[in-house]
Amino acid sequence: MIDFTLSKAQQAARDYAHQVALEEMRPLSLECDRTEEIPESFFWNMQRRYWGGAAAQARAYGQDEGVRQENLLSVISQEEMAWGDAALATAIPGPGLAAPPILSQGTPEQQARFLSIYMDGQLHWGALALTEPGIGSDVAGMSTTAVLDGDEWVINGHKHYITNGARADLIVTFATIDKSLGREGIRPFVVPKGTPGLIVGRIEKKMGLRASQTAELIFDNCRIPKENLLAGRGERKAGFKAAMGTLDATRPMVGALAVGIARAAYEAACEWLREELPAGYPPHKRRAWEEELKELGQEIEMARFLVWRAAWMADRRIPNSKEASMSKAYAGALVMKATATAVRITAPGEESERKLLIQKWFRDAKVFDIFEGTAQIQRLVIARRLFPNIDIP
Amino acid sequence: MLDFAPTEEQEEIRKLAQSIALDHLRPHARKAETERDSPNELRLTLAQTGLTTPFPEEYGGSGPLEAVTYSLIAEELAYGDPGLALNIVGSLMGPLTVWLAGSREQQERYLPPFGNSTSGYLQRGSLAFAERTGGYTLADIHLQARRTSDGYLLNGTKRDVVHGQHADLRVVLARLAEHESESAEGKLCAFVLSDAQEGLSIQAEEEKLGLQAAPSATYLFNQVQLPAEALLGEAGSSGVVRAATLYQILRAAIACGTARAAFEYCSAYARERIAFGRPIVSYQGIAFIIAEMAMKLDAARLLTWRAACSWDRGEADETLIYEAECAQRQAVKMAQAATTDAIQVMGGAGFMQDHPAEMWMRDAAAME
Ligand SMILES: Cc1cc2nc3c(=O)[nH]c(=O)nc-3n(C[C@H](O)[C@H](O)[C@H](O)COP(=O)(O)OP(=O)(O)OC[C@H]3O[C@@H](n4cnc5c(N)ncnc54)[C@H](O)[C@@H]3O)c2cc1C
Repeated sequence: MIDFTLSKAQQAARDYAHQVALEEMRPLSLECDRTEEIPESFFWNMQRRYWGGAAAQARAYGQDEGVRQENLLSVISQEEMAWGDAALATAIPGPGLAAPPILSQGTPEQQARFLSIYMDGQLHWGALALTEPGIGSDVAGMSTTAVLDGDEWVINGHKHYITNGARADLIVTFATIDKSLGREGIRPFVVPKGTPGLIVGRIEKKMGLRASQTAELIFDNCRIPKENLLAGRGERKAGFKAAMGTLDATRPMVGALAVGIARAAYEAACEWLREELPAGYPPHKRRAWEEELKELGQEIEMARFLVWRAAWMADRRIPNSKEASMSKAYAGALVMKATATAVRITAPGEESERKLLIQKWFRDAKVFDIFEGTAQIQRLVIARRLFPNIDIP
Repeated sequence: MLDFAPTEEQEEIRKLAQSIALDHLRPHARKAETERDSPNELRLTLAQTGLTTPFPEEYGGSGPLEAVTYSLIAEELAYGDPGLALNIVGSLMGPLTVWLAGSREQQERYLPPFGNSTSGYLQRGSLAFAERTGGYTLADIHLQARRTSDGYLLNGTKRDVVHGQHADLRVVLARLAEHESESAEGKLCAFVLSDAQEGLSIQAEEEKLGLQAAPSATYLFNQVQLPAEALLGEAGSSGVVRAATLYQILRAAIACGTARAAFEYCSAYARERIAFGRPIVSYQGIAFIIAEMAMKLDAARLLTWRAACSWDRGEADETLIYEAECAQRQAVKMAQAATTDAIQVMGGAGFMQDHPAEMWMRDAAAME
């Protein structure tokens, strides 16, 4: 039955994440953005608060309710985290983007072997490495290679723009085992940190999301055990399609982050109009801004519903590529609009922490139109699903 | 708990509405546009399905309306033809407002003719919402009612009243001024108008841009005196809010159906139309327009469903007012963009009356 109310578990997840965002993220936000560094204490606090405590409670409630809802619970919390600080949200210890391919393509043995690392209470991260200097959107054209040599895969190549690349304990790296196979030759490999031949290159300086680590990785005869190939299981055959399939789970998460930033900017702009309006500000202008914000508020709700719907489909195991792309494309455009509007509205105001945050969110927002598939790529995915029999290049 | 799937029963009703839309609405759309009304046969067919009598059985209805279910129905009807859908929904809003806001006695008086199994389908209701000074938001309702010794005195305007010129039951939304002060907005209330009312001028709206199949009228109230029993229930009751927000929600659903009609129609066209040796949809310039249409349609539909869910759950008035307004505003805006883009996708053909796209674009524009 169509229902837009949050269950106990869903509400608990939201409340908890909001509290964490308010207490652990907002106070650090501007400083981490300025220094492009995150204090160690943040990681430990998140480790303690996010993986233990009430978040575990929410997960337990979720199980009580007897339906799969890990994707929904996750997008609900992600929105709150990004409301706190999206860059910090990407740095929360845990397997991160490495988890979906391990979960969907790993054998039970591989899942246990790789994911148990994250359960020991210490600080660990994961990363996903697809992008190369020569290819981004056109993942199938990648040039990183993997060659089997005895009991080991030997990886050679160059990846860049990898989130948490320098601190990740495990990097799920995509490489081709046979270039002549094109996309069919692409496989995911799990490369542990510290493997000889895995070299961390430069850490990027960015417009926004500065506290999030974006690293270059060089693979120079990097040898990993044969057992680190995620070969797929059952119906979920490994390879390019399966790799892209994990995006159906992660795109709504990225959408949720975008919604969180958009909401933060929207709320700050509303507060500014209420609290910081300079004396003599023309009332007709204020009314015009209020109208614009009202519209924005409604668009934020639509973006959230698209995200929730895509996550809900993932939980129900209903194919959701189209809906996942819709949620990401809509939220990616919206967060730009929301943050740009907030910048415009508050432009006449004095410098304040609120204004600095708005400026930061504006700089953070643009990447949501780019990573996990650009705005154009999302539209391509949607169009190809709408017209399955037509070749849309 | 969050859930985005209609129930099986809703799905069945939706399919029924869709088949009626495709068999009986779409083929008659152009004719209804010129004749400016729905044919009696269509109304009879609909009445036989029970879709047009969603009020309690005791009044001859097919069972009380649920907003989510009816949003699904309204979208399908509009997918058939937006004008005919509004014709049907606009008529329904008359009896529905009596059911939602009226006293038992008023329900017993006004509902049975609509539930009559032989002649009910010929009855037409109407609900006057929008005014010369605004659109479909509650805040824009200003028609002023003042208490007098033996009733109420009404002053103001209404426009876009579907079936206003010939309705068997005319309901109007107004504000009851509690105090003498001019500025304070009165409580939302609904009145039933009888046929010949001194000071009330009813003018059919002849030159409409779109939605011609839903004939509408303008009302001008100049010191119109109504008897005390014309007030439905009590002023400021939740029943009136529920009636008004229901109309907004169903109008939003109609906008979604309009957009879906345009989206599917131009998609089929773009698949078949060849330019430079390839189907035009294989060009990103076209494919992205359609992808965007699908995305924004889904977004607006979710917003509509959310408001409908809250309506069914009996949420507080403020919640309904906010959510129904969001749905109506966003769905209409989306439908206007979708129908306009559908013509763009079709090129010159879209501009021609051989195709329904130009009608849908005018219809969406007329939803304001
Ligand atoms: C902060 C940040 C973090 C990132 N984190 C990760 C990570 O953790 N792991 C990872 O693997 N990658 C990561 N990325 C990389 C990201 O996924 C890519 O930047 C993205 O996929 C786009 O690739 P590109 O930059 O090479 O752009 P290109 O693919 O070169 O695209 C350039 C332009 O061409 C357009 N374009 C490309 N192909 C088409 C087409 N077929 N039709 C129409 N237009 C097209 C694009 O939309 C874009 O506008 C990250 C990037 C950033 C900025």
